[in-house]
Amino acid sequence: MITFWLVLTLAALFWYGSVTLYVSVKGAADIREMLARLRNRDRKG
Amino acid sequence: MLTTLSQPSGTHFHWLFDGGIVGFYLLVTMAAGIAMRRYVGKLEDYLVAGREMNLHLGIASLAATEFGIITCMYTAQAGYTQGFSGAIPGICQAVAMALIGWTGFCIKPLRQAGAMTLPEMFETRFGRKVRWLSGMVIVMGGLLNMGVFLQIGGKFLCTVAGFDLSNLTLIMTALLLMVVIYTVLGGMLSVLVTDFLQFVVMSAGLLVVSVLILKNIGWDTLVETVRKHHGEGGFSPLANPSLGWAFLANQFIANAAAALTWQAVIVRILSAKDSDTSQRIYTRTSFFFVCRFLLPGIWGIAALATLGWAPLKQLTQEERLAIPVMVQEKIAASPVGAPMIQLTAEETSALALETQAKLSDASLLAMPEFLSSFLPIGLMGLLIAAMLAADMSTNSSYMLSWGSVIYNDILAPFRRTAWSDQRAILWNRCIVALIGLYLLIFGLFYHIEGNVWSYLLLTGSIYLSSMSVLLIACCYWKRANNWGAIGAILLGAAVPVAHLTLEKLPATAAFAASVGKDLAGIAAFVGAALGMVVGSLVKPHPKSS
Repeated sequence: MITFWLVLTLAALFWYGSVTLYVSVKGAADIREMLARLRNRDRKG
Repeated sequence: MLTTLSQPSGTHFHWLFDGGIVGFYLLVTMAAGIAMRRYVGKLEDYLVAGREMNLHLGIASLAATEFGIITCMYTAQAGYTQGFSGAIPGICQAVAMALIGWTGFCIKPLRQAGAMTLPEMFETRFGRKVRWLSGMVIVMGGLLNMGVFLQIGGKFLCTVAGFDLSNLTLIMTALLLMVVIYTVLGGMLSVLVTDFLQFVVMSAGLLVVSVLILKNIGWDTLVETVRKHHGEGGFSPLANPSLGWAFLANQFIANAAAALTWQAVIVRILSAKDSDTSQRIYTRTSFFFVCRFLLPGIWGIAALATLGWAPLKQLTQEERLAIPVMVQEKIAASPVGAPMIQLTAEETSALALETQAKLSDASLLAMPEFLSSFLPIGLMGLLIAAMLAADMSTNSSYMLSWGSVIYNDILAPFRRTAWSDQRAILWNRCIVALIGLYLLIFGLFYHIEGNVWSYLLLTGSIYLSSMSVLLIACCYWKRANNWGAIGAILLGAAVPVAHLTLEKLPATAAFAASVGKDLAGIAAFVGAALGMVVGSLVKPHPKSS
C-alpha cells in the first residue's frame, strides 16, 4: 500500500507540473480567441 | 525595530519581499478581472461567457474553482487526521469525473439542451413548479456550503502570515471586496480570465511547497509518522475502523453526483462551446482531483511529523490553567483530530466555549502553523499569493453560480414579460453583491463543529441526492414526471435532515452514531431514487386522445 501512495504522489507531481505548463500556454491562446469572437460578434451586432 | 515591523512574530512572512509578491499578484488579477466588463453585452455573456469557452481555459477554470483555501484546509486536515487514507475521496472523484467525461453520461444531453442552469433543464420535463423548487434546494444547499469559505480562508491567511486572529474580520472583508468587484462587473468572463491567472499562480505554489516538503522532510519520515499515529488504517481505508466500505461507497456516489449537478462545476459544461468540449474538460481535469486531495494531504502529514498532536498548545496559559489536570491529560492523550472524544459530557460542558472552539480547530490549523515556520522568505509570498488565487477563483465562481440560479430559476415566476439584457445583467450584479454580503455575515457569526469535510458533504447531500436523481431521470427515463421529481426532492432532503436530528437528540444519538454519516448519505440517494420511481409510477397516465 505504501508503494501505491508513493507512485500516486510522484504521478500527481509529474502530471500536475506538465498540465500547468501546457495549460498556461494553451489557455492564454483560448482567452485571446474567446475575446476576439466576442468582439467580432459585437461588431456584427 | 525594522525586523519587528517587517516580520510578524513566529512566521517567516516578510512585508517587503512576500508582501510585494502578493501585492503584484492582486494588482494583475484585479486589472484583468475589471477589464472584462466591456465584453459583457448580453445576459448569456454574463452567466455563461457567451458559450465561447474552449478546452484549455475550461481545464484551468474548473481546476481553479474546485481548489480554494477551504479545499486546502480540509484536505490537509484529512491527511493530518487520517494519513494517506484521507486522500481516498480525491481518487473517488477522479474516477467519477473520468467515467462521466468518457461516456458523456448526463453531461452530453445537459449541454445539448442549451440551458443556463440545471433547474431550467428540469422545466422541460417536470414543469415550472419543479424548476422553482429545485432552484430553491440548489441555492439553499449551495449557500450553506459556501458560507464557511470566507472564515476558513481568513483563518488560514492570519495563521500563515502570523497575524493575530483579531484581524480576521478585516482580512475577510478585504478578500471579499476584491472578489465581489470584478465578479459583479464582468460575470463569467471575469471569472474565466481571473481563473486562468489564478490557476497558474495556485499551481506554482502547490507544486513548489509539495516538492520542498518531500525534499526537506522526506518520504520515509512521512510514512513513519502515518504508521506511528494511524497504524495500517493510515494507508488503507478498509483497515481504518472509522472509514471502511460504506465510506468508500458514499464517497464515490456523492462525488459522482457532485460532478453531475454541482452548479459551480457544471457551469463549465454549460459555458463550453459544444458538448464534445465539455466531455473533454471532464476527462482531462479528472486526475487533478487526485492532486487536489493528495498534495495538501501530504502537507497535513508533514505538519503531524513536525508539530505532533498537541491540541493544548492552541490555548493561552490562562485557558490551560482553567482546565483540571485530569482533563488536560485526557485531551493530551486523545487520538489525532478528536481532542474531546475521551471527555465525559460533564467535563466537556465545563470547558469554556472559546476553549472548545480552539481545541476543535487544532487539527484544522496544524497545516498553516507548520507552513508559517517551514517556508523561507519569498516562498512564503508565493504560498500566500497561491492561496489567495485559489480562494478568489473559488469564491467568484461560486457567487456567480448560485446567483445565476436565483435569477434564472427562483425569480423566473416573477418576470411576467421578457427582460432586456441590460436589466437582467443589473439584477444579476445586485444578486452577486448580496451573496457577498451574506458570505461576510455568515463568516463572522457561524462556527463549524468538527470535521470541515463532513460539514461540506452534509450541506451538499441535501441537494446532491435529489438533483442527481432528477437529472438522470430527466435524461434517460421516459416515464419520469413531476410527481416523481417532487417525491425525490422531499425524500432526498428528508434523510440527511432526519439523521442530523437523530444525532442531536440525546435519546437517539447512539442510534444515529451506529448508522453513521456514510450509510445515511447512501440512504439519501436510495430515498431520492425511490421517491422518483414510486412518484412517477403512482401518477395517473393522461388518457390519450
